[in-house]
Amino acid sequence: MGLLSYLKEIFTGKQDAPEAPVAPAAPAAPTKVEVPQPAEAKPAQTPADVKVEQKPEETKMEELPVADKITIGHVHMSGCTGCLVSLADNYEGLFALLDNYADLVYCLTLADVRDIPKMDVALVEGSVCINDHHSVEDIKKARENATIVVALGACAAYGNVTRFARGGQWNQPQHESYLPIGDLIDVDLYLPACPPSKESIRNVAVMAYLLLKGTDEQKELAAAYLKPLMDLAARGVEACGCDLMVDVINQGLCMGCGTCVAACPVRAIDMVYGKPNIDREMCIKCGVCYAQCPRSFFNFDVINQFEAIGEAIDAAMGKGGE
Amino acid sequence: MVLGSYKTAICARAADPGILAKSQDGGIVTQLFAFALEEGIIDGAVVAGPGDEPFKPEPIVATTVAELLEARGTRYTICPNMSMIKEATRTYGLDKVGIVGTPCQIQALRKAQLYPMGMRSVPDKIALAVGIFCMENFPYQGLETMVEDLCNVKMESAVKMDIGKGKFSVYTERGAVSQIPLKLTHKFEQGGCHVCLDYVANLADVSTGSVGTPDGWSTVFVRTKVGEDVWGRAIGAGYFETKDIADVKPGLDLVTKLANEKISKNQKTLEERATFGVNKGLRNPYL
Amino acid sequence: MAKVVEISPTTRHEGHTKITMQVNDAGIVERGDWLSLTPVRGIEKLAIGKSMHQAPKISSRVCGICPIAHTLAGIEAMEASIGCYIPDDAYLLRVILQCANRLHSHALHNILSLPDMYLPGTDTHINPFTSEEPVRSVALRIQKLREIGQTVGEIVGGEPIHPSNPRVGGMYKNITPRAKSKLYDLAKEALPLARDHMEFMIAVFKDWDARPMASVANGKEVEKTEKFGFHDQGYMAVDPLYGSSSLDIEPRWFPERWTEVRPWDWYQGELEVSLEDAEYPIGGTTPVGTKVWPAMEACTGVPLYDGSPVEVGPRARLAMFRNYDRKGAMGLQIARQMEYMDCLYSMIEAIDAVDCSGSVLADEIPQGDGSLGWAANEAPRGTDVHLAKVKDGRVDWYSLLVPTTWNFPTVSRALEGAPWQLTEVIMRAYDPCVSCATHMMVVDDSKRVVAQKMFQ
Ligand SMILES: Cc1cc2nc3c(=O)[nH]c(=O)nc-3n(C[C@H](O)[C@H](O)[C@H](O)COP(=O)(O)OP(=O)(O)OC[C@H]3O[C@@H](n4cnc5c(N)ncnc54)[C@H](O)[C@@H]3O)c2cc1C
Ligand code: SF4
Ligand code: SF4
Ligand code: SF4
Ligand SMILES: [Fe+2]
Ligand SMILES: [Fe+2]
Repeated sequence: MGLLSYLKEIFTGKQDAPEAPVAPAAPAAPTKVEVPQPAEAKPAQTPADVKVEQKPEETKMEELPVADKITIGHVHMSGCTGCLVSLADNYEGLFALLDNYADLVYCLTLADVRDIPKMDVALVEGSVCINDHHSVEDIKKARENATIVVALGACAAYGNVTRFARGGQWNQPQHESYLPIGDLIDVDLYLPACPPSKESIRNVAVMAYLLLKGTDEQKELAAAYLKPLMDLAARGVEACGCDLMVDVINQGLCMGCGTCVAACPVRAIDMVYGKPNIDREMCIKCGVCYAQCPRSFFNFDVINQFEAIGEAIDAAMGKGGE
Repeated sequence: MVLGSYKTAICARAADPGILAKSQDGGIVTQLFAFALEEGIIDGAVVAGPGDEPFKPEPIVATTVAELLEARGTRYTICPNMSMIKEATRTYGLDKVGIVGTPCQIQALRKAQLYPMGMRSVPDKIALAVGIFCMENFPYQGLETMVEDLCNVKMESAVKMDIGKGKFSVYTERGAVSQIPLKLTHKFEQGGCHVCLDYVANLADVSTGSVGTPDGWSTVFVRTKVGEDVWGRAIGAGYFETKDIADVKPGLDLVTKLANEKISKNQKTLEERATFGVNKGLRNPYL
Repeated sequence: MAKVVEISPTTRHEGHTKITMQVNDAGIVERGDWLSLTPVRGIEKLAIGKSMHQAPKISSRVCGICPIAHTLAGIEAMEASIGCYIPDDAYLLRVILQCANRLHSHALHNILSLPDMYLPGTDTHINPFTSEEPVRSVALRIQKLREIGQTVGEIVGGEPIHPSNPRVGGMYKNITPRAKSKLYDLAKEALPLARDHMEFMIAVFKDWDARPMASVANGKEVEKTEKFGFHDQGYMAVDPLYGSSSLDIEPRWFPERWTEVRPWDWYQGELEVSLEDAEYPIGGTTPVGTKVWPAMEACTGVPLYDGSPVEVGPRARLAMFRNYDRKGAMGLQIARQMEYMDCLYSMIEAIDAVDCSGSVLADEIPQGDGSLGWAANEAPRGTDVHLAKVKDGRVDWYSLLVPTTWNFPTVSRALEGAPWQLTEVIMRAYDPCVSCATHMMVVDDSKRVVAQKMFQ
């Protein structure tokens, strides 16, 4: 009995429940995906049925051209790795992403590359302890080496719980000042929330791929999709449940949908006579209530195409029929 | 485009008289969810259930037809249905979630699906989004004033409220109807409604409202593949009576007219907001 | 003369750490320090003055791999301080969460360990990301087990990463019967997968143990030493599955047996790197001539139990409650795999026992008078002890003794006698989670005095 069948027997048990590996949209290229090595772009076969619709009325789908993968790195600052776990929680979709769209060229938690290499997209998790020179060097290097810097999660974008930090704890009591990465470097995109959902990270990864490797039309769609997240990055480094008061209710924009309540990761919001009440002693300043609120940003050009974009992303991940 | 993209527009009402009895209009929402529930298209739906004050709804996750029936009828005040969208997939254990909502709530839903930053495991569990037309909504205290002061009806004794033909009407247990012209209600409208650019829930799978079709009937837009599938199956199963929308009065022309009115009025509000102060404007969420 | 070699940063675990070693001419570690370089966010100090409800939500953010453990330990420390007893159904929901977290975390750790391992019977390292079979099926099964764990965490905890449903006094919401049967189905689905997976992983680890030569992923093969990764420290565990708290009638953790010392006394002093290997994957070791100073750089303290470092984690639990006795790095790895089944059996039992109509919130939630309470949770990586004093609803004092902090000094000892090129394999066996492990409680006198001061 060959090794392969021997192993198969070990992990598929007797006869039933053989785990048919969930096939990506097209059979994966026979390229071997190594534990990612820096600067080793591998040509990958791209699923033939990744389609993007430009206008809601049209049913014609664009074919995705065969293109290289993009390179992505995960840069861990003072975060908790929850954002990375959220990325990994795409389950088989994680492999669809890595097989077809992105090489993970740097990620201390998952791969052995020890220095921050050049990459297309840096997903930065965590805020920066400015009392730790390694951290400061790393964030600068990430900016230098990445085309697109994404503040992945609330700590990187807004500080989140590290906003409360004030030092005084051994063995490094001088570690008292933590800053969102946007206070130290230019940040291209924010993906707020603690942690950002697996789906939102997946969407940004797919859109980054289209932006860098897609057809002109796909680039346009990706740019439109990513724009509000760029605007969030431009908006600033401070977030709080108070934003709902200041930038939504006080501005006469709240209509009581309750989305913020569902989004809050610490159940700090409840609706009182149709408007959110924020328990400011619970709020950890993650910023997702505001980001998720339909009255923070609402880009009709993209959201009107929700059906087509949803289908395109599903197809890209090898899910769904058709 | 003021009516959004849709595959078909129909005049319809629920075939089940039991559902119609206490529905707002043609019982479309309740009938469609009941059908979807029975067929396993949804495991449950977020609807506006009864609250602890009269005509003050609370979002609930209905998983039985009985609960759906309890939630029939329009309450002209805010019911934050989106607040339950995640919980429905959590302690309620739903894999296929239905939700009814005003256009803004359906917008919130679609944004939550496309940009689901704080909505883990919600996007792919939305199985059926039913939108209801909406010109505006009222804070509870505003509604109370309209009903108790302007219409002289105690909230407790009202059984139904309705907006139509330029009037706000309150029906009581004893069969009386109290009406005021709509223009008296404007001051009580929720401010956030004045920047809303959607009248007929353009982003729903199926949207419905009373305008355009005779009393007791509803106007229905079937918009998405999901909507088309569910609606088609419900029709096939005989759950709805339908009429050709072209044959009914006042028809889609009125819907279009009202949609245009709402959108242009609120576009204007957005423009005014841009220069609201002295060299200072108010925020525009669409830019 | 011993040479100084340093691997920095180490990889394939949570957080930032390095290993600084003095090795003999054969490259065998004579003295090794594994230390955290992760900035200290100071959760214990920033919690002071915060509400007792918020503090555990903040401490959850210590770690996104085992957030359930931190949430539960934090909440239960608050409850222990204020003397709040939660309803049985709330406790059952927490047990389900505990199992869910362990399932996902152990499975995730498999992905981090596999690259150093070989396909049994071959000399090929396992790259968990390859699309080639048979590895892909293993990787997908790992993800399936994680999916089940995380989905259970989602349903019961609101979120699997930083659960929102647990609260001081119990839980915000009970589950519905529909959710209950969904949980049951998920656990049942995982059972056969977990069994096969456990067997596969154990075969892989045993294969590694039996090899005379080995390497880290993409590294140079070196001869293994006998007793690879052995240490002579004891074990600490409070429960095979869940935990213990100061509200227990018979608590199973003893604060008076705990001491903590500063790294100053414990880690090596100033050194200069004198051995370098540019080939060490990937990016090489620290350049010769670099000055290093572990005692100064370490970001965690050294907690001791009965005056000694202890090992916490799967092997400690199995050793203390099931007489497990396989030593070495692979002994620990194998112990971890042996916990898979109990995660699921216990989960199923707890799901069965939940009464969906029962209350999950204590009728009364006292505000606290400043008494000390502690809760020790058996996190995936070991005993996670949170201690708190709550007064008038606010945190007066808070301390976290998290698993990897306990393990740092123990791992440092386990490195001794191993070829330096394989030390990361030992360290990774402990499934380090370092963001958590940024703790230090100053204790400069004899522990008894401190104990009296704190536990009066
Ligand atoms: C604030 C508001 C304004 C409206 N304005 C118009 C209008 O201008 N023109 C028009 O044609 N139609 C409007 N409608 C819709 C209309 O009143 C009916 O709700 C719709 O026709 C559905 O009736 P039905 O008989 O099909 O539904 P039913 O079977 O009666 O079910 C109605 C459903 O809507 C839900 N619901 C009730 N109140 C609310 C609420 N406040 N928020 C969210 N969900 C709720 C209920 O839970 C129920 O599931 C409005 C509705 C609301 C809530
Ligand atoms: S945002 Fe939340 S999940 Fe991400 S690193 Fe910060 S605490 Fe962790
Ligand atoms: S999400 Fe925005 S619009 Fe909706 S209730 Fe919250 S603040 Fe108001
Ligand atoms: S209220 Fe909740 S969602 Fe909003 S910033 Fe605070 S913690 Fe985040
Ligand atoms: Fe604030
Ligand atoms: Fe951890």
